[in-house]
Amino acid sequence: MAKLINLKINGKPVSVPEGTMVVDAAKKAGIDIPVFCYHPKMEPVAMCRQCLVEIGRPVIDRATGQPVLEENGQPKLQFGPKLETSCSTPVSEGMVVITDSEKARAGQREILELLLTSHPLDCPVCDKGGECPLQNLTMKFGPKESRFLYDEKHHAEKHFPLGDLIFLDRERCIQCARCVRFQSDIAGEPVLGFSQRGRHTEIVTYSDPGFDSVFSGNTTDICPVGALTTADFRFGARPWELKSSASICSQCPVGCNVTFNVRREVKAGGGYVIKRAMPRQNEQVNEIWMCDKGRFAGYQYTEADSRLKLDSPELDQALSQAAVKLAESASQAVFLAGGRLSNEDFYTLKQFATRLGAKAYLYTRHGGGEYTTRYGLAPGSNLGNLGKGDTVLVVASDLYHEAPLWYLRLKAAAKRGATLIVANARATKLDEFATFVIRYSYGDEVETVKSLSSKEKVGEAIKNTHHLVIFYGADGLGLTGTTALAQACADLFTSLPVSQTAPKANNGLIGVWSTPNQQGALEMGFAPCADLAAELKDKTVYILAADPAGDDPTLAEALKGAKAVIAQDILETETTRLANIVLPAAAYTEREGTFTSGERRVQRFYPAVPARPGTKADFALIAELAKRCGIDLEGRSALLVMNQIVANEPAFSGITYAKLAEVTEQWPIIGRSDLFYGGTGYENKQGLGVTLSLTPGVSPQGRDKQATLLSPSPAAKEMRGEGLRPKEDELLAVPITKLYDNGTTVAPAKLLAAHIARFDGVFVNPATAKKYGLENGSQARVSLNGVTYSASVLLDESISTGVVLIPRSFGIPLAEPAFVLLTALEPAQEA
Amino acid sequence: MLTEKYPSEIQAIFAKYPVKRSAVMPLLYLAQREEGYITKENMQEIANLLDLDVTEVAGIVGFYTMFHDEKAGKYRMQVCTDLPCALRGADAFLEALCDNLGIRVGETTPDGLITLEEVKCLGGCHRAPLFQIQEGDMVAFHENMTVEKTMELVEALRKSVNSSPRAATA
Ligand code: SF4
Ligand code: SF4
Ligand code: FES
Ligand code: FES
Repeated sequence: MAKLINLKINGKPVSVPEGTMVVDAAKKAGIDIPVFCYHPKMEPVAMCRQCLVEIGRPVIDRATGQPVLEENGQPKLQFGPKLETSCSTPVSEGMVVITDSEKARAGQREILELLLTSHPLDCPVCDKGGECPLQNLTMKFGPKESRFLYDEKHHAEKHFPLGDLIFLDRERCIQCARCVRFQSDIAGEPVLGFSQRGRHTEIVTYSDPGFDSVFSGNTTDICPVGALTTADFRFGARPWELKSSASICSQCPVGCNVTFNVRREVKAGGGYVIKRAMPRQNEQVNEIWMCDKGRFAGYQYTEADSRLKLDSPELDQALSQAAVKLAESASQAVFLAGGRLSNEDFYTLKQFATRLGAKAYLYTRHGGGEYTTRYGLAPGSNLGNLGKGDTVLVVASDLYHEAPLWYLRLKAAAKRGATLIVANARATKLDEFATFVIRYSYGDEVETVKSLSSKEKVGEAIKNTHHLVIFYGADGLGLTGTTALAQACADLFTSLPVSQTAPKANNGLIGVWSTPNQQGALEMGFAPCADLAAELKDKTVYILAADPAGDDPTLAEALKGAKAVIAQDILETETTRLANIVLPAAAYTEREGTFTSGERRVQRFYPAVPARPGTKADFALIAELAKRCGIDLEGRSALLVMNQIVANEPAFSGITYAKLAEVTEQWPIIGRSDLFYGGTGYENKQGLGVTLSLTPGVSPQGRDKQATLLSPSPAAKEMRGEGLRPKEDELLAVPITKLYDNGTTVAPAKLLAAHIARFDGVFVNPATAKKYGLENGSQARVSLNGVTYSASVLLDESISTGVVLIPRSFGIPLAEPAFVLLTALEPAQEA
Repeated sequence: MLTEKYPSEIQAIFAKYPVKRSAVMPLLYLAQREEGYITKENMQEIANLLDLDVTEVAGIVGFYTMFHDEKAGKYRMQVCTDLPCALRGADAFLEALCDNLGIRVGETTPDGLITLEEVKCLGGCHRAPLFQIQEGDMVAFHENMTVEKTMELVEALRKSVNSSPRAATA
């Protein structure tokens, strides 16, 4: 704990830790000092001069080092001749701050008057109007009238697209540099800058494509004026018409807390429509940020034209038919569920499978999850507390693309002094901030992890750390590889001194899943199937929130060989197209439930809009089906299901919906009345979530017993660590993940179309391309596992010459690394 | 490519700065030397050399008035019209100069010799009217000027360009 400093602000005694800026000390005491450039998440720069206050300091007698006293025994104060910027002045003992004297107020008022001389005052048509710090502070601290000439107002470019997601209005910009500093200091992507000076200063980007950052949306939240707006929301609605609804982002395992803003629209027949996604503060998860995927693809898919629906007699019929098939098949039924389902859905499905005698699998190619339920993060964990003396290892994962907020959090941890070890087969954005970068060849993941402890410096960092957090991904790996990798990571924990293996906060193994709730499924004992195609043959298959047929033609074939296919999803997919019976589910934005994040934090989401007619929440559909099979399951509400989860799933014991909805005070203070301070992100009133407990001493076998019922884990089989090795002329194809993929939940995001297209192809080293007569963008034939695809060639200097990276979800199925043939497609053939 | 054109100069610049990014200014001068302005490609190359983002480099080019990112005449004639100079007749001087050169502020003479620019205080207020002439990475001051003296200078520049072999810039 830093030393406490005592001072007085407007006569109020305040004690704050040493190093606190006066402006924050005031905020903590409930006193607002107007700010523009200052933001509590960033270093002060004192550029705007808005936060002027009077500051007096005790006069110290040089000879004695003691404060000089007035006649009345009070310490004598020395006030500076000028006002000082409270955002860049740290508190000191005995300081007296006056924020509301006529002198201080005049300073604040005059800065506002000056700012407004260059401001267009187009509030009536400005998207920020209604939630604008400049508007609010002008009302509270500004002059009633301006002494400047209206006609001499500075004019500049409006509607300038910085990229295709963010628009800039140059005459509204007050040059606070919050956006510039966010990009360089927090996001680590300095693609915004100032050009020119004085009144001509303007925000510019030279990146190609423009404003090339996956965190760009956050700048619109912290921009204190309407200079930066998002392409989806600009001119879309007025802030005061919006209702807000708490939710969790469903695009990756981080589980960012978000708010959906909704309003009723004529366009929607008077119904509710989601107008935008905004971050909701959870300092233990996403702080006050979110990534552009979450913002621009987070809910859009739930509104896609391809939403499934049935009217109520049709649904009734479909359910009955499905129930007949399932009841008939009983133990010959196979359930296959994707990690998009909520905890409540997984639990209900598990109960149904157990009672029916069916097998239930988690649909994923990312194995090893059973280790994360044993070695995962324990309650009290907060990546935001990692720092000096702690070690984080990232292996086989490109966090920037797979879980952007984790990238942000680890970058910050490294800055606070944590040792960050990034081990990958190719360069990733996190390398730049890593203490150690380890490069291996695809196939050497397990060996690499095994050899870490014996490395000199890296080994020290792992062995002597207070806390060790390991993130493992599926970069270049399939089910077998990821499972082996997880095992190797788990071994690393067991081989460490006891203090590090006992469950404790901020210690553990995290899987970088591709779905928001794979962890929840794992905690309930779900596991992937090692040979899915074989398993589906002649079975009655019940598929939920997954598109195996779209992902892999082999699985599509296998499904054709199944006895019957029942598909339950929110959108039409290849799988629903070939299914015999389709059950339309409500989107997660239309119902209640919980997700378990990769950090094992259970978090609630609430309905933002009503469920579409003809759809039902997944758990309710499952319960209906069960009922028709003569099995009585809870399907009335998500809360009632959670009560059962808590009673029957050891990992979830002690959790209640009420507990999940609890909040504690967070710093920095953000919220509607504090827009000027923290930005337009939302305060958290609906719950910070709860991290699942880890049961110490439960042997791996003990945990597995509970899971056996669902399916044997592929880890049980003997697994070889090393993968395929390409020889001289061979190329190895490996699957990788890019942020903007073409999957079911991202492809409908219209705004991201160009971003998604950037990853539509196969990545090779320029030298490899040359060797095969290819160049950037040229078409190539890719022959893989006996099938030939044509794809664009994309160059990436950071990868080795022997590999071809195949981004997942772009139409070239690649479950496990495989040898590949690459040939140029003659332009003639192309036409 | 700057690295191909000026390998030894770049080496020498790097040697001077323990922190790589500090070398941005001299590298920008180097990039501006020949064409009198800095191309986007050069900014990108400098960014790569210094581990900066191209936007950061462009921001520096934008901030300093003597870096340019657009092609102009061979010589940039930069006349100060800030307040003290204005009091000594800089405005009238500039206007007359425009008439004589046949161009407006911001424009270039048809032969590509002179681009006329208006700038803030150059620190020679007591010798106004004054201007500086910028050519590539070189600058020269011309103080206590009259329109006649200026036109003589322009003529001299024109002659020297026409007679020198590397006068192809125009
Ligand atoms: S665009 Fe907004 S955040 Fe960026 S400098 Fe201008 S006012 Fe500040
Ligand atoms: S980091 Fe993940 S959870 Fe957070 S907004 Fe992005 S996709 Fe959503
Ligand atoms: S100078 Fe303090 S907030 Fe800008
Ligand atoms: S005002 Fe012109 S040189 Fe100073």
